[in-house]
Amino acid sequence: MKRVTTMLVVLVLALSISLPVMASVPGELLIWSDGERAPILNEVAKQFVIEYGVTVRIQELPFGDIRDNLAIVAPTGEGPDLIVGAHDWLGQLVTDGLIDPIDVDDESLFLESGLEAFTWGGQRYGIPYAIEAIGLIYNKDLAGEDGFQSFEEMIELGTKLRDEGKYALVMPQPDPYHTFPFFSILGGYVFGMDADGVLDPLDVGLANDGAVEGFELFEYLMDERIMARATPYDTMMSLFQNGNAAGMITGPWAFNDVRSAGIDYGFQQIPSYKGQYGRPFLGAQGFMMSAFSENKMLANLFLNEFVATKDTMLAIYEGDPRPTAFLPAADIINEDPDMRGVMESAAEGIPMPAIPAMNAVWTAWSDALELVINQQSAPRPAIENAVQLIIQTIEDSGY
Amino acid sequence: MGKIIKGAFLGIVNVVFIWIALYLLGAEAYLVFVLLLLGALLTNVIFLLPRAYPYRYLLPAAFFMVLLVVYPIVYTVYISITNYGTGNILNKEQVVAQFESKYTLEPNSDSFAFQTYRDPQGDLWFLFTDSLGGQLVGHDGELTHLREDDPLLRQLAGYTELSRVDLVRATNELSSQSFAYDDTHELRMRNINAFNLYLQQYSYDRERDVLLEVQTGIVYTPEDGYFRAPDGTHLTPGFRAVVGFGNFRRLFGNPQITGPFVSVFIWTIQWALLSVGTTFVVGLFLAILLNDPYLRLRKVYRSLLILPYAIPAFISALIWRGLFNTDLGIINQILQATIGSSVPWLQDPFWAKVALIILNLWLGFPYMMIICLGALQSISAEMYEAAVVDGATAWQQFRHITLPLLMVSVAPLLISSFSFNFNNFSVIYLLTRGRPPIVGAQTPAGHTDILISYTYRLAFESGRGIDYGLASAVTLVIFLITGAITFFNFRFTGALEDVNKNV
Amino acid sequence: MYRRHTFFRGLWRHAIMLVFLVFALFPILWVISASFNPANTLVGQSLIPRNASLANYIEVFTSEQYPIALWIKNSVVIGLITSTLVVVMTSLAAYAFSRFRFKGRREGLFASLLVQVFPQMLAAVSIYLLILSIGKLIPSLGINTHAGLIMIYLGGAMGVNAWLMKGYFDTIPTSLEESAMIDGASPFQAYYMIILPLARPILAVIFLLQFIGTYSEFILASVLISSSDKYTLAVGLQLFIQDQYASRWGVFAAASVLGALPIVLLFMFLQKYLVSGLTSGAVKG
Repeated sequence: MKRVTTMLVVLVLALSISLPVMASVPGELLIWSDGERAPILNEVAKQFVIEYGVTVRIQELPFGDIRDNLAIVAPTGEGPDLIVGAHDWLGQLVTDGLIDPIDVDDESLFLESGLEAFTWGGQRYGIPYAIEAIGLIYNKDLAGEDGFQSFEEMIELGTKLRDEGKYALVMPQPDPYHTFPFFSILGGYVFGMDADGVLDPLDVGLANDGAVEGFELFEYLMDERIMARATPYDTMMSLFQNGNAAGMITGPWAFNDVRSAGIDYGFQQIPSYKGQYGRPFLGAQGFMMSAFSENKMLANLFLNEFVATKDTMLAIYEGDPRPTAFLPAADIINEDPDMRGVMESAAEGIPMPAIPAMNAVWTAWSDALELVINQQSAPRPAIENAVQLIIQTIEDSGY
Repeated sequence: MGKIIKGAFLGIVNVVFIWIALYLLGAEAYLVFVLLLLGALLTNVIFLLPRAYPYRYLLPAAFFMVLLVVYPIVYTVYISITNYGTGNILNKEQVVAQFESKYTLEPNSDSFAFQTYRDPQGDLWFLFTDSLGGQLVGHDGELTHLREDDPLLRQLAGYTELSRVDLVRATNELSSQSFAYDDTHELRMRNINAFNLYLQQYSYDRERDVLLEVQTGIVYTPEDGYFRAPDGTHLTPGFRAVVGFGNFRRLFGNPQITGPFVSVFIWTIQWALLSVGTTFVVGLFLAILLNDPYLRLRKVYRSLLILPYAIPAFISALIWRGLFNTDLGIINQILQATIGSSVPWLQDPFWAKVALIILNLWLGFPYMMIICLGALQSISAEMYEAAVVDGATAWQQFRHITLPLLMVSVAPLLISSFSFNFNNFSVIYLLTRGRPPIVGAQTPAGHTDILISYTYRLAFESGRGIDYGLASAVTLVIFLITGAITFFNFRFTGALEDVNKNV
Repeated sequence: MYRRHTFFRGLWRHAIMLVFLVFALFPILWVISASFNPANTLVGQSLIPRNASLANYIEVFTSEQYPIALWIKNSVVIGLITSTLVVVMTSLAAYAFSRFRFKGRREGLFASLLVQVFPQMLAAVSIYLLILSIGKLIPSLGINTHAGLIMIYLGGAMGVNAWLMKGYFDTIPTSLEESAMIDGASPFQAYYMIILPLARPILAVIFLLQFIGTYSEFILASVLISSSDKYTLAVGLQLFIQDQYASRWGVFAAASVLGALPIVLLFMFLQKYLVSGLTSGAVKG
């Protein structure tokens, strides 16, 4: 009996642990942030308390969970006032009615493409802090000081490197996001745009002639062993870190790993093919406001006066270097050649479609890539079948 | 003594029931209230009726099972007849409230600077100044244009003016204020520095249940989860609405489902059988070896062999993905060095399946091993002693004593393990994501897709985003299949029948 | 069944053990290797990292942003409480299923197993809503409380566990209880004083399985727990691999290795119960 009593005591103790619940409380701000931004926001929050005596709490979540949890938590009134997120969440969050427009005090402070990425139906839904795009990281020892001008040049070098068991190019495979430049290089696109700039989910341009030609280049590079075949991200990275690859298609997140391996590297935009440049997806990250916030005015004030400042934006940059979308901070950041490269690559970027129909694209597209990578299908039938599936799926769901 | 404890316990339980019931009545949750009353009645009957004695032992576990396992199932059933998913996650009241609170900033309109005062009663007064210097006083929703030397100004001077810090702290109070400027415009707070003129976008007519767009006069009527205009366009966000069996019709009427269904189904069965078979055989084999009291180091072996179970499955799966890597993976490097050829683990349909079985064996054998170790303890040594006297071989002992006795407790577990693996989405997803893809498939399907991963694609990669309604319908259909298989398994193996006690 | 080995028979057994040990431990060695590898990769080129360092472990213990030691403590506490309660509830239910005959017994047994194989895709959403409303009534059981989380995990007390335990109880002879009841013991006393001590191995098994299951659950926990100081280890670990391309594998691996220790310790502690009990004539019917 004694053990039962002990257990009951433990149970009662456990149940009586009652601490305040984190939720949007009137007069206090709650921000959901990923790990990179959380420590910086905590500092900014301290200033806000000093200045106005208003508490700002930061809750850290894995980046992707922010979007998923918002849909569960916000409608119950327990969610945050502000979130950190990516621009391609916009379509889903706006059509769900989960975020509200933000009044940007001074739009001239922001990079046009960053603001545009956070625009939906003519309204601004976010304050961007960074933009990003993939490009080509090259090993100066193999590719030379200036990298590659064109894929033609890369093929030439690749045929030489092949004999040493090295590759001219590595990239994550199968990975539609990183492979998009091959499709865009001669005129492919994901969704066509109507005259008003609205994306048409039934106009999928991944299998037009330009896209297929680009895809055939992708296949050719693997067939000729210019590019390594079937390399997941980790494999790609270790090939490059060990000096077995002259170029690597990836984004600014890879700089640290490349640097730590002691590679003398440069960053450039995706090379040209037949005189045209491969355009990557442009992505933007920023702050958005929950439609269920009890403190929208306060949240607006916090963003406009405390986040959209040179100090905060520089701190965000230093915590996780990505090209800033905040112009007053851009000068300092542009002194870094890596960032300047990403910036140039992003300038060529096409905003990644933010419409929910994008959900229907990724897997079918990735399957087409994989069939070609595994040499089970030629590029044209693979991607044509994928596009047919994509359109069918989108039609089925009521467009 | 026992009666006192019973009485006290029942008393406490009833007090808690009454307390919750009152709350539910207050919250107008009548359905839950009725369910609660039934539960309370049941509890009392169970404790007062001697005939219901055995149920007392089941009550605690059954309570939590109903609350936390059955409730999500009921919820899934409900969602399967709704349109819950991207674009339709809020309820109608929330959506109406959002539309009602939508204001558009009047373009090119004047911006009003403001000073704020609080009178002794604590009410707010505003002094607005437009760009030409004209002044207005706002209080309690009404505006007064000021003339020169208006007595109101003197009145305001007697109140406390709010500093900027006070304003920031009072933003919620301030932003809820609105003043009728003229017939259509409202003066509302734009930010901490200014008020602006706004137009209300929508008004909701509760009687007719329609939404009116104020500027254009378009009437939106609610239909299938959206407010729709006569021309067929609809407003976003939509709301959650019951759509009947539409999701099920979509599921069965979908040509994509009927496509590679058969081959996916066959692999699902193979996968579930092989998963249970391999983990059980290895787990049992190891348990028997480790149960041997004469085996040296057996404690060390046991502790080391459960390690795969101690590492979170998602990290092990990532590690295995690296090991299976075709070019750099250590498995292929070893194969290359020993037999001179390597295996396209994750690219070839057959080898991808083998890789999955290996991974699942690694993840699952410690579980079976622990269970068998436990279950073996119930077999008393005398049985074996008797068998040895009769001259039985080790295999005969295993076949006629160990296995049948073990099955008493383990057989139902194997059946449930089969059902679990039938729907084991996560292992498939972590290692292969259903890949490699099937060439020329009518739907995005892969060679290693099992039923659940294959059908969920319809719901999570739909053209509208995520379609929880459809996903719930899929879940229920698959549950029916799994349930039927489980049921027949029980009938077939007789695991449901009463086992002989005291064998 | 078992007898003293000759030298070669013993050797043969150790050889088999060695094969399985390699199979079981090889991937784990990679995790350990990654935890000492400052190069931040899970596909290390060699099992022994080139410039091994303790940097990842140091970060695990010193990070202010990620109080990993606290998370491990949370996980252990939640796991111990949950497992204890589950063992109590399961053994009660299993006792009824094994020793009493009542209406709905077979149906109940079957149903408890069936509901557990329901694909719980919407569980996170529905359970969040449930706990939210419970929390409005009893704040200490609401969202962002460990008690609320423990309550959710108790939902799994029936099902497989009850079956396993019932099967074990079935093999315990009823003669002991019968004689006790002749001496005036109530069925509950028979359960508490006779069945439970005899069933220690299976109680240990259920305790261990429940502990591991609770310890590694992160889907429900990540939706329900919203402040970093209350995270469980499994939830906290997700923070390190949140970014598809910039995951912090090294720290992640180090935390995983440390996080596995409580499970191993618990197992070593439970071993003596796991393989004891009835083997040598504890029950002489």
